[in-house]
Amino acid sequence: MSEQKNLLSLRNIHKAFGGVIAIQDFSLDLKAGEIVALVGDNGAGKSTLIKIISGVYTPTSGDIELDGEAISFRDASTARAKGIEVVYQDLALADQQPVFMNMFLGRELTKPPFGLLDKQRMREESQQLVDELDVRIPSAASTISELSGGQRQGIAIARATHWASKLVLLDEPTAALGVAETARVEDQIAKLKEKNLAILIISHSLDQVFKLSDRICVLRRGKQIGVRETKNTDKNEIVSMITGVA
Amino acid sequence: MKHLVKTILCGAAVMLTPMIAQAQTIGPKGEAATPSSEIVVSDSSAETLKNGNYTAALLWHDQSDFVNAVTAGATAEFERFGVEVVATTSAGFDAAKQRSDIETALTKKPSIILSLPLDPVTSAAAFKEAKDEGVKLVFLSNLPANYEHGTDYTTVATDDLFQMGKQAADALAASMEEKGTVGWIYHDADYYVTNQRDNAFKTTIENDYPNISIVAEQGISDPARAEEIANAMLLRNPDLGGIYVTWAGPAEGVLAALRANGNKTTKIVTLDLSEPVALDMVRGGNVAAIVADEAYELGRTMAAAAMLDLLDQDVPPFIVAPAVTVTADNVSEGWMQSLRVEAPESLR
Amino acid sequence: MVVYIGFIAIFLFFAVTLYDDGFLTQRNLTNILLQTAPATIMAIGLVFALSAGEIDLSFGSIVAVSALTVAVVLQDYPLIVGVAAGLGVGVAIGALNGVLVAYLKLPSFLVTLATMGLFAGIARSMTDLRSVPVMNETFTGIFGSGKLFSLPSLVIWTAIGVGVGHLVYRQTRFGAHVLATGDNPRAALVTGIKVARIRLYVLMISGFTAGMAGLLYAGRLQAAKYTLGESDLMTVIAAVIVGGTALNGGKGSIIGALLGSLLMGMLNNGLILMNLRVSDQMIVRGLIILLAVAVSLRDSKR
Repeated sequence: MSEQKNLLSLRNIHKAFGGVIAIQDFSLDLKAGEIVALVGDNGAGKSTLIKIISGVYTPTSGDIELDGEAISFRDASTARAKGIEVVYQDLALADQQPVFMNMFLGRELTKPPFGLLDKQRMREESQQLVDELDVRIPSAASTISELSGGQRQGIAIARATHWASKLVLLDEPTAALGVAETARVEDQIAKLKEKNLAILIISHSLDQVFKLSDRICVLRRGKQIGVRETKNTDKNEIVSMITGVA
Repeated sequence: MKHLVKTILCGAAVMLTPMIAQAQTIGPKGEAATPSSEIVVSDSSAETLKNGNYTAALLWHDQSDFVNAVTAGATAEFERFGVEVVATTSAGFDAAKQRSDIETALTKKPSIILSLPLDPVTSAAAFKEAKDEGVKLVFLSNLPANYEHGTDYTTVATDDLFQMGKQAADALAASMEEKGTVGWIYHDADYYVTNQRDNAFKTTIENDYPNISIVAEQGISDPARAEEIANAMLLRNPDLGGIYVTWAGPAEGVLAALRANGNKTTKIVTLDLSEPVALDMVRGGNVAAIVADEAYELGRTMAAAAMLDLLDQDVPPFIVAPAVTVTADNVSEGWMQSLRVEAPESLR
Repeated sequence: MVVYIGFIAIFLFFAVTLYDDGFLTQRNLTNILLQTAPATIMAIGLVFALSAGEIDLSFGSIVAVSALTVAVVLQDYPLIVGVAAGLGVGVAIGALNGVLVAYLKLPSFLVTLATMGLFAGIARSMTDLRSVPVMNETFTGIFGSGKLFSLPSLVIWTAIGVGVGHLVYRQTRFGAHVLATGDNPRAALVTGIKVARIRLYVLMISGFTAGMAGLLYAGRLQAAKYTLGESDLMTVIAAVIVGGTALNGGKGSIIGALLGSLLMGMLNNGLILMNLRVSDQMIVRGLIILLAVAVSLRDSKR
């Protein structure tokens, strides 16, 4: 990674729900064009962290800086407005709507003079987006329910990258996919680097983590165990960090 | 309770009708009643009617055995003179559906429409098209507002409501040997049909039977509460000789109360045919008599009136069909006379 | 879509078998359009509600309240006040439904089941079961028996309703958000759609269309009565489902609802012209609706 300033900085993030501490003293920097993997056992706090970054939760204490600017998100839509997009585990796609409407869900394009939907432009832009990421679907007008799991995942990723100007958070992007589809989605994620976006990915698959990420951040029971450069570590080290067993 | 719904509909006619107890049934505009037996199409007119290729539509408010009997009476009378029934509808008490039914039936260009207008107000516009096209309109029980006899419609026919109440009084008095005490359970609502019948019963007892006194009066608006009402009445008047119940539905509840009290002496009289009530009567229970209307005759007379109008003969503005008193001795005949169907198996 | 085929099939069937009975006459076909106008308008609102994943069972009662409101207000006030009052109560009742559903998070089925009964009772008590005549001839012309360029006003209202409804449903962001909300509320939420507000709005739209239907009934009958709209609930739901709108949201069609409504009207009309007995009319109509709904739902599952 070239030396450039941090896109996202998390400083000493704490999050407690009542008396239960979910995240303690978490700090991490992300640079544009970098993929960081977040790993840890179930309940380690990965999803909580994603929700804090995407504005769903407000941290109990700690600072978040985006592009060197201190921010506090009131809700998910302010985070979205700042260029942060999430690909949720359940994909958040409306199954009975066409691909292009999903791609522009909540941010539909309209045309003058009456502000009606510009379906043609949405279709064309969607087609372009899926082509860029090599998501192979019959057409941008296809209904989501007609698509395979991998195709849907591709759509969700394409949507996030289209709207994210800075950061994409991926929550278990291949958990429900078969081998071939997983490989295709991994290719798509790798392509996001070219768009100079910062990417934070949660994954249970260490193979995937090692294939995709530049750095790996390990969480255990809400504590940040450590961050490693992917090229300077190996699976054994990461597994022992995750489990706490030397 | 087969007439309850018909009853509710007719409520609107109340606005046009003086509410004092009459010595006879009067029409929606205060017209004197003509007995249905006077409405007869002569056999000599048969040829003229058959050559006219006339058609009729029957546009009812709802479905019930009452409507079925009226339909049967009308259809049979039409058949005798070669008038074809081309449409039959039921509005299910929906004024908008009735309007649609009229429009749809007019597609078949009927010469005659027999109908129960749902109420005077909504039916005025609904029947306008039919009226303007010169269709002979014969109404059952209700009359559209501001319609003129002779120019706008042929006639209004209904049950002889006063006779029904009077005959109920006569039958109850007879079963009590014309002496004793009576409870009066009347319909507590502004409804033309039940009000006329209930008041006729009361007037008759008061005027014609000096040895019978009405010692308890209780209104009822929800038939489901009849049993409680009867229980309360019997508690206060344990030696009631008879009870009048406004129609058969609540009468079933009153019967249940009497049975629960082991009361075998208090007589009941009610209006409109009902199998469970009649069964008690046939088995020698509390029910002394049921007074019914002659629905079949009502249908016949409506058809006859319409055909007379087609023949350019004068038709009186208000026609009533007679009432029939049904006792244990004439159940089969009574059923036949009222509805023109065999009495239910259990009663024969 | 199935409704197009069913519509054409039944139309052709009646056209052939009832040719001599005047089914194809301009008068009869116009009658069908006039008779179905209020139900079609109600159906438009229901498509919006169902598409957002909500149901409105109260629209029939709203029709009665709105019609009675118009009739009563027009006795003392000018046309515009009566119309505003009639539509206003519709929207207000819809808003009540909407607030309970969207912000108190109560299921719309239960909320509108309750308000259906509530407003049926209010309609009954408004005038003590009495029917109220509408004497204002401008009103009965505009909303009932009038014509513009030889087109009956009810046909014009149907066309406007379907045209505007279709445009909003298919070509606006609002329509897209309604569909997304019914399809996957979580997806709608995380993409920034104000899901609660959409739920409020669709029930207000359903209230508005029911209010409009109340106006059309009052205009057509030149009177209002508490029973108006009561029997439309099942007809309109059937029309909307046959027209390809999903009961559980995310999918629907305004044009389909129009055809479904016309199909229902055609059935009523044709079965009467066939001179069937009333009970047989009900049986045949029930069987055809069952068939249409079954085929339509099978079709949409694929």
